[in-house]
Amino acid sequence: MLSETSEDTTKQSRNRVGSFLSRRDVQQAIRAWVFWAVTLGGLGYLLIPHLMTDSASKTMDIVKSTFMAFYYTSVPVAAVVLGIATQTVLHNRHAGTVPPPDDNPAIETNQMANIVWVVISSALCVFLLVWGLVVENVVAEPSRAANATVVNVTGQQWIWTFNYPAARKDTNELYLPVDQPVIFKVQSKDVTHAFWIVQMGIKINANRGEITETAVTPNKIGVFDVRCAELCGLLHAHMQTRVHVVSKADYEKWLANQGSVEQWPAS
Amino acid sequence: MASELITEDRTRHSAEKSVGIIRHLNLGTAVIVGALLAVTVNRIATKLIFEGDETWRRHDQIVMATMLAWFIGFMIGIGALVGPTRWFFGKDLNHDEAMFLAGKDMGLKRYFRYTTDHKVVGIQYLILTITLFFIGGVLAMLIRTNLGHESGGLIPPQVYNSIVGFHGLIMIIATIIMITGPFGNFILPIMIGARDMAFPRLNALSFWLLISILPILAATIALGGIPMGWSGYNPLADQGPLGVDSYIFTIVIFAISSAVAGANITTTAMKMRARGMNWSRTPLFVFGTVASVALALPAFPVFMLSQVMSAMDRAFGANFFNPEFGGSAWLYENLFWIMGHPEVYVILIPAVVAIMEITPVFARKPLFSFNMAIVGIFGIVGLSIFVWAHHMYISGWAPLLNGPFMLTTELISIPTGLLFLVILGTIWRGSVWTRLPMLSVYALLFNFIIGGVTGIFLSDVPEDAALHGSMFVTAHFHYTLMGAGLTGALGALAYWFPKMTGRMLDEKLGRISFWLVQIGFTVTFFGMFAVGLEGQPRRVEAYDIIFKNGNLISTMGAYTIFIGMLILLAAVITSWRNGEIAGSNPWGAQTLEWMTPTPVPLENFEVLPVVTTNPYQYGIKQETSS
Repeated sequence: MLSETSEDTTKQSRNRVGSFLSRRDVQQAIRAWVFWAVTLGGLGYLLIPHLMTDSASKTMDIVKSTFMAFYYTSVPVAAVVLGIATQTVLHNRHAGTVPPPDDNPAIETNQMANIVWVVISSALCVFLLVWGLVVENVVAEPSRAANATVVNVTGQQWIWTFNYPAARKDTNELYLPVDQPVIFKVQSKDVTHAFWIVQMGIKINANRGEITETAVTPNKIGVFDVRCAELCGLLHAHMQTRVHVVSKADYEKWLANQGSVEQWPAS
Repeated sequence: MASELITEDRTRHSAEKSVGIIRHLNLGTAVIVGALLAVTVNRIATKLIFEGDETWRRHDQIVMATMLAWFIGFMIGIGALVGPTRWFFGKDLNHDEAMFLAGKDMGLKRYFRYTTDHKVVGIQYLILTITLFFIGGVLAMLIRTNLGHESGGLIPPQVYNSIVGFHGLIMIIATIIMITGPFGNFILPIMIGARDMAFPRLNALSFWLLISILPILAATIALGGIPMGWSGYNPLADQGPLGVDSYIFTIVIFAISSAVAGANITTTAMKMRARGMNWSRTPLFVFGTVASVALALPAFPVFMLSQVMSAMDRAFGANFFNPEFGGSAWLYENLFWIMGHPEVYVILIPAVVAIMEITPVFARKPLFSFNMAIVGIFGIVGLSIFVWAHHMYISGWAPLLNGPFMLTTELISIPTGLLFLVILGTIWRGSVWTRLPMLSVYALLFNFIIGGVTGIFLSDVPEDAALHGSMFVTAHFHYTLMGAGLTGALGALAYWFPKMTGRMLDEKLGRISFWLVQIGFTVTFFGMFAVGLEGQPRRVEAYDIIFKNGNLISTMGAYTIFIGMLILLAAVITSWRNGEIAGSNPWGAQTLEWMTPTPVPLENFEVLPVVTTNPYQYGIKQETSS
C-alpha cells in the first residue's frame, strides 16, 4: 500500500517535471542556456590560460586551478541568468509607445523555484568555502617547512631590499634556490607597501613597525617579477624588481660570492 | 472654494512683509559670507598660530581653520541656521516663512536657496549628480589617456596619483547619492503618498552641506592634490600635501550630509506612508532606499571618525596611525573598510531596487517573490557589516581571521542571488517592452553577474593573494558599481524623467547612448581583467610593456563610454528643454507617484491617497501557475 502511493507520487512529480521541461518557452530557455554555457565555458577554456601570468610555484598553480574551477562552476549559473534573459528578449519582445497588453500570467511567487534557488546557491556557497579552506591550507605548506630559507624583505619609497640573514647579504634583486621553501619576513621603513611576486601568487603588505610573513616554494628556474601592489606615493609604479630562481648549486655559488652588498648583479 | 482662494491671496500678499531675513539669503550670500569668514579666520590664524619647529603642522592647522570658517560661513549665509536660531529664542518660523522656504511661487530662484520642497531638493541632487559624474568621467578619461599611451607615463606621477584619487572620491560621492539623492528625494515621498519629507529643513541641509564642500574639494588642486588615492591610507596620507586636509574635510562633511539624509529618508518611509500602505503594500524601492541609507547610518560615522583622527595626526601629531609612535596603519585600514564594504551596498541596493521597480511595469507581470526580495535586501545589509576584512586578507593584520571573513563574504552570494531570482522571475513569461528603462534591466543582469562572479574569485583567500591590488580588482568593482550601479541609476533616470521634468527622455539618443556605453563598458573592463590576470598593479601611472595591448583596448573602450555619456547628457538637456510632453503616467505604472498630475503640485496630492493593494497588480490571475 504505502510503497504504491509513494511510487504514484514519484510518477506524478516525474510527469510534472516532464511536462514542464517539454513546454515551448522552457525548451527555448534551455537552448539559450546551452548556448551561453557552451560559449562562456569555451571562451574561458580558450582565453583564460593565455591571459593569466606564467606560474613559478605550486601556489600559483593552485591559484590558476582555483580560478578555473570557480569559473567553470559559475558558468552554468551565469548561463541560467543570461539564458532566461535571452529567451524573454527573443520571444516576448514588444515595441511601441503604448504599454504591452496586460495578458501575462500574474505569477506572484513560486515556492519550488524559491526553494531550488536557495538550496543550490547555498550548496555552491559551501563548495566555495570548503575549497577555499582546503586550498588555503595547501598554500601555507611552505611556511611550515622546517628547512625553509628565511629572507628579510624591506620596502621603502620606492625600492625593495632583500636581506639573507644566514649569509649576511643584502641585495636589491631577489635570488632563490629552486624547490626550496622560502619564508619572507616583510616590513617597511615608511608607508605601507605590498610585496608581490607575480608569478608565484604570493602577496603580503609591508608595514612600518610590524613584520608580516608569507612563504612559497619556487618550482621553476627563471626570472620573475616583484611589484609593489599598494599605492605608496610618487614612484609606486616603478617600485619593482626581479626574482632570479636558480639551481641550488648556482644559489650556493651566488651566496658565497664576495661583497656583502651587491647592487644590481648580472642575471 | 472661495475661502481657499482668499487664503492663497492673503499668503501671497503678506509674504513680502512677514518673511524675515530668509528672503535675502541664497547661494550668493552663502558664498560671500563663507569667503569673508574664511579670509578673516585665515588672517587671524596666520597671526596667532605659533611658528614652531614643525612648520608643516602649522600649515595644516591654518588650512583646517580656514576650511572650517568657510564651511560655517557658507551654512550661515545660505540660511541653515535661521530656523534653529529662531527656535532657540522661542519663536519658530511662521507659516509664510515655511511656505517661502518650500519655494512657493518662486520659479527658478528656489533652486539657489535653502528650499525645503523635496521635489526641488530632488532636482538639485540630480543636477549635482550629473555634474559630479561629468567631472569624474573627464578624470577617468585622463587616466585612460595616460594608460593608453605605450606603457603610460604621459602625466607626471604626482599629478596622476591625484587624478586617480579625485576620480575615486568624486565617483564614490556621485554613486552614493545618484539614486537616493534625486529619486529618493523627489520620487520616494510621492511614492508613499506623503506631502513632503518628514524633516523638510534637514532635506535642504543635506543638500547644501554637499554644495559647501565643492569649493573645498576644488581647493585641493591648489593645495597639492590627494596623491594617496581616495582610500586615504595612512601613513601615506600623513605624508601627503595640504590637499589631504581638503580630502579629510570633504569626507567629514559628506558623512554628516549622508547621516542627515539617511535619518530623514528613514523617518519619512517609516512614519509618512499613506493610509493602507502596510509593509506588504509598500513599493520595493522604498525598502531598498531605506535599507541603503540605514546601512550608511552606522557605516559613515566610522569613516568620519577615521578622518578626524587623521586630521589630528596631521595637524597636532596625535599619532593614531603613525607606527613610529605607537599608532597603527592597520587601525586605519579597519576603520576605512568598516565603512568601505557596507558602502558598496549603499550604492548597489538602490540601483537594484530601482530596476526591480521598473521590471514589473515593462514586463507587465507582478514582481516575483516580493518577500524574497526583502529577505535578499536585508540579508545583504545584515551580512555586509561583517565582511570588511576581506579587503585586508594580505595586510598581515590577523591571518587567523581570513577564514571567518571568507565565510561571511561568500554567504553574501545567497541574498544577492535572491535579487537575481526576483528579477528573472519577473521577466520570465512576461512581456519585454523595449523602452530605455527596460534596456537597463537587461544590462544590469549581464553586468551584475560578471561583477558578482569575479567578486567570488576575490573572496577566496589564496586567489586574493594573487589578484589583490591588481587591475583585476579595479575591473571587478567597476562591474559592480558602474556596470550594475550606474546602469540601474540610468534606468531610473529614464524611468522617472517624465515625472520629474514633465517630458519624455529622447528615446533615439538614449538608445545610441545605451549601446555605446554598454559596449564600451564591456570592452574597457575586459581589457582591464586581462591585464589584471597578467599581473598589472592598480593605481600605476606607468607599466611594463607586456600590458600594452590590454591597456590600449581599455582606453578605446573608455572613450566609447565617454562619447556615449556625452550623448546621454545631450539627450537629457534637449529633452528637458523641449522633449515630447509626458502624460502623468506614460508607462502605465501603478505606484503612487504616477497617480499625481505632472508637473507635480507643491504638496503632491490634492487628496491623500488610500492604498488597498501592492503596486504590482499586472497580468491575469490564475489558480495555479508555474
